[in-house]
This record gives sequence, structure tokens and C-alpha cells, in this order.
Amino acid sequence: MREKKLRNIFVNGAIPADTIAESIRKHHTKTDIGAHSIFLGQVRADEIGDQQVAGINYTAYEDLALEKMYEIREAIFAKYPLTCMHIHHSLGMIAAGEICLFVFTSSKHRKAAMEACDELVERIKAELPIWGQEILTDDSHQWKENK
Amino acid sequence: MNIKILLFGRLTELLGQNVLHLEDMADTDSLSRFLSVQYPGLAQINYQIAVNQEIIHGNRLLTDGMTVALMPPFSGG
Repeated sequence: MREKKLRNIFVNGAIPADTIAESIRKHHTKTDIGAHSIFLGQVRADEIGDQQVAGINYTAYEDLALEKMYEIREAIFAKYPLTCMHIHHSLGMIAAGEICLFVFTSSKHRKAAMEACDELVERIKAELPIWGQEILTDDSHQWKENK
Repeated sequence: MNIKILLFGRLTELLGQNVLHLEDMADTDSLSRFLSVQYPGLAQINYQIAVNQEIIHGNRLLTDGMTVALMPPFSGG
């Protein structure tokens, strides 16, 4: 049995557009890839009464999240013929308009990359122990709930 | 006997801390009951329990040095 390698998915702060561009660029040498699928989660300035969401402060049970992400990663690689998979999730305060989740899948043909990306996003939201506290424009807050 | 309790999300607010240490908790059901008495608001919040980084369903016996995490519904992404 090969060694179980936990990969860190967490980054402090927002995910910069440059990181995403750089990640795409790194795949130019992998010429067996014919399709990439990318999901970007962006913090939305929801209206809450007469306030707006100014940002989301993310916290996580990191050890358990990385264990769970390992299981999800293995399951998705077993289910779809992927060439690679990269996942980044923000921690800390992320302002409205910034990117907090970056999921990137690649495969020979488009269906595998697209379906795997979609399933990853759903599983990340449902299964990873991460919590978002929505900070409103008047500095009050409420706890985010995934729909 | 010492059990470390990790709190997350809205539970950190309700209990006013991120970590608790409790003595003499036989199992996770007793732990939940004990905390519900100490923090009445807890009864209104759904939470999952992980023992030593494993999500459990039902009751689990606790022994010295175990870590119990109380996790309200996830909201990542």
C-alpha cells in the first residue's frame, strides 16, 4: 500500500488571480491533457436587512479537513480518469468580491474534468469541516449556511 | 482523566472559547448532556461529533487523552 500523503489545501487570505494563472501555466508541459475545468468560489455581498456582507471569516478543523479531503481526492481519482486535481480553500477574512475556493481538474477529454470538478465542489461544501462567519458592513456577523 | 473538547463555528461563541478540558466523561452522550446543562443554547444547535479526528454516529466511550470535536453544520466554499 502506498503511503498516505495529506496535501494542504488551506491558504491564508484570498486566492489571488495570479495564483490561478500560474496554476494554469504550470500545466503547459503536460501535453496529454486536453481539458481543464476550473471552479472559483467568490464571496458574495449578500443583502442582510439594511446591511451587506462585507466579507467572510473562514475557520476550519484543519486536521480533520485534510483527512477528509484525502478520502475525497482518492474517491474522485478512482471514479474519473483525471490527469490532475488541485484544490485551494481560504482561511481568515476574505472580502466580498475575492476568491475563497479554487478547484482545478484536468483530463484527456472534457467530461471527466467537468464532472469531477462539479462533484468535488459539492463534496467540499458538504463534507469538509470549514465554517464561514459572514461579517456585515456594521461589523455585526452571522454564521453562513451552505444551501 | 482529561478529555480535550474542540469547538468550532457558532459553538465557539456560545461557549465563549475554542477549547475546553473536562475530567471524568464516560462517553460522548454524557459529554453532550453535561454541556447542554452548562450551556442551554446548545440544545438548539445541531452538531456532529468527531473523536480523535473521526466523525462518529451514536455514542462512543471516552478514555484519557482523547480529543472530541463538536462541529456545527459546515459552511465552507
